[in-house]
Amino acid sequence: MNDTEYLLDVRGLKVHFPIEKGILLKRRAGYVRAVDGVDFRIRPGEALGLVGESGCGKSTTAMAVAQLQTPTAGQVLLDGRDLAALSPQELRAARKDFQIVFQDPYSSLDPRQKAADIIAEPLRIFAKRGIITMDDAEIQSTALSLMDRCGLSASFATRYPHEFSGGQRQRIGIARALALGPRLVIADEPVSALDVSIQSQILNLLKDLQKDFNLTFLFIAHDLAVIEYFCTKIAVMYLGRIVETADSATIASNPMHPYTKALLSAAPLPDPAKERSRRRIILKGDVPSPSVEHRGCPFRERCPEAMDVCALSAPVLKPVGEGHEVSCFLYGEG
Amino acid sequence: MNEDSILRVEGLSTQFSTDHGLVKAVDGVSFELRRGETLGIVGESGSGKSVTNLSVLRLIQSPPGIIASGSVLFQGKDLLAASEEEVRVLRGRNISMIFQDPLTSLNPVLKVSTQIAEAIQLHHGLGRKEAKAKAVAMMKLIGIPDAERRADDYPHQFSGGMRQRVMIAMALSCDPDVLIADEPTTALDVTIQAQILELIKSMSARNKTSVILITHDLGVVAGMCDTVCVMYAGRIVERAPVDDLFEKPAHPYTQGLLDSIPRADRSGPERLYSIPGSPPNLIDMPDACPFAPRCARVMDICTKAAPPETALDEEGKRTVRCWLHSMESTNE
Ligand SMILES: Nc1ncnc2c1ncn2[C@@H]1O[C@H](COP(=O)(O)OP(=O)(O)OP(=O)(O)O)[C@@H](O)[C@H]1O
Ligand SMILES: Nc1ncnc2c1ncn2[C@@H]1O[C@H](COP(=O)(O)OP(=O)(O)OP(=O)(O)O)[C@@H](O)[C@H]1O
Ligand SMILES: [Mg+2]
Ligand SMILES: [Mg+2]
Repeated sequence: MNDTEYLLDVRGLKVHFPIEKGILLKRRAGYVRAVDGVDFRIRPGEALGLVGESGCGKSTTAMAVAQLQTPTAGQVLLDGRDLAALSPQELRAARKDFQIVFQDPYSSLDPRQKAADIIAEPLRIFAKRGIITMDDAEIQSTALSLMDRCGLSASFATRYPHEFSGGQRQRIGIARALALGPRLVIADEPVSALDVSIQSQILNLLKDLQKDFNLTFLFIAHDLAVIEYFCTKIAVMYLGRIVETADSATIASNPMHPYTKALLSAAPLPDPAKERSRRRIILKGDVPSPSVEHRGCPFRERCPEAMDVCALSAPVLKPVGEGHEVSCFLYGEG
Repeated sequence: MNEDSILRVEGLSTQFSTDHGLVKAVDGVSFELRRGETLGIVGESGSGKSVTNLSVLRLIQSPPGIIASGSVLFQGKDLLAASEEEVRVLRGRNISMIFQDPLTSLNPVLKVSTQIAEAIQLHHGLGRKEAKAKAVAMMKLIGIPDAERRADDYPHQFSGGMRQRVMIAMALSCDPDVLIADEPTTALDVTIQAQILELIKSMSARNKTSVILITHDLGVVAGMCDTVCVMYAGRIVERAPVDDLFEKPAHPYTQGLLDSIPRADRSGPERLYSIPGSPPNLIDMPDACPFAPRCARVMDICTKAAPPETALDEEGKRTVRCWLHSMESTNE
């Protein structure tokens, strides 16, 4: 196995949150299996899109990869090094290489700091700890050039977050994430809160930055069209697991998992003629609770193609084509 | 006025006084809704979609808000001139609204089924038992799993998506003539969104309910609407039958919006188009086209005067507010 072929290699990642009952005597009433055995790999310069419904575990995966949430099990190999196994000191230094951009640009920015200070903050912290060597003047000029690169005029440097629009705040969040020159950017719904016209500005910016800095992306969204536009590969997540993964074009043209098919068919298309003629797969029910342990395939209750075998055991990801993996009994026994 | 017209909004302007000045949130909006028609109102955040529809229902809080001018004719009766009581009755009986924020519009201390049942009782004059049974049936219809058991839950025990569906159940159970749905599915997952939109569609077809659907998702508009109004800075800048809008957008803003969307159904360009700049401040708007500073096709006149509404066809089904088009017509 060649480890360095991938910048990020996630293996058997699990995050289970304990559910506690009782006020005085807390006892464990079970677990929320937010992430329940996730594997994926990203090559340098690639963008992997993680898509799935609310609560399926996308953000928890992102937090666990970024080591902002301790995994219950599994490995997160960045350039061959397991982040989950690092000492707190080693981890702090390693953070230079991976940064996270959040969905809500407002709540993720300190309201009392000026834009340039927000962007410069990671540099200041790392300089103070002696991980990087930069003086104040260098830090300031780096922050300003990042602002410029992210489409924020220099006159905005002394403004506070509330004085910016949503799109501008997201630009600040992106500039801050890039300050330390990371190799991996984990973007958790970076455009979901934005209007379409602003969304396309930010998507274009991220694409340009990806090229200029040879960035690798773990990109999370619930909008398949956004993912398909931005990412070279897609992983579809359902209830804490990846159910299908392939190139973006393959997912679009040849989806195999019934859930992927349903997602694709439910995504509204901005084309009235296509909308009238398409056959929609309407799923029944809600996303089931991740706190119930599932015997069999977790998608079974909502699956239009469920078979008897699906109740007996859970399918695992299996290759069905070049770089295409599906976890479904329709394509062979588990 | 069209025979079939059920709601007609004419020259509606709504303003808010704030510390920074007067916000012209809605500025001379006119549109007509026909029986059984689904009208989409699209536009970016802050363009005035919600305020337009809250004004129609006379739900603008005053102060700071004031409906400065206009008329709202519902079956010929002007709601803006009607008494508070008349409007209240209409809101319960003839026009229902699904609000953008479901959490604040449900009563936190009442059981979910009780709230739906109250709406049903009010409208159909059923007894409590029957109303509750109908409420549970309605909950099933909107896809609340385990509806009988969950009927006695309180709103906070429901997920955001389920609360939104309860709002929709309440609105639908009144068999309204007009349903105003303000971003009814924005907070929901696409698979749940597909369920809900299907529900609204089939109800509208069955009862000939007219629907005003407010959204910023052009995909939802394409699938749901007969007619579309595009709003920008408090004005309707383009109005068109849905196919025409997507096929030949007339306003550069509409064109820009369509080009900005990543498309899952076809491979697009390497880069998305993006409209430069950001929406205008609605305070002290100059007498000019509000889109001029961001428009790729801006001309001299655009910064000197606001373009009038120009009809692009005989019947007036297509209109646009853009100097590119009003230059062509001579009667302005
Ligand atoms: N700290 C926590 N404690 C307990 N449960 C949690 C915690 N964080 C997340 N969860 C649960 O884990 C599951 C996955 O949540 P997560 O936020 O990862 O989903 P997501 O896919 O990012 O959803 P969304 O699209 O809504 O952002 C959910 O059921 C959530 O309620
Ligand atoms: N109570 C208020 N006081 C001051 N300004 C207000 C008030 N309510 C709305 N506005 C302003 O009116 C304008 C139109 O708001 P509206 O809520 O109608 O936008 P919208 O198109 O519904 O946007 P969104 O897509 O975000 O829901 C905005 O600029 C908003 O800031
Ligand atoms: Mg999330
Ligand atoms: Mg609104």
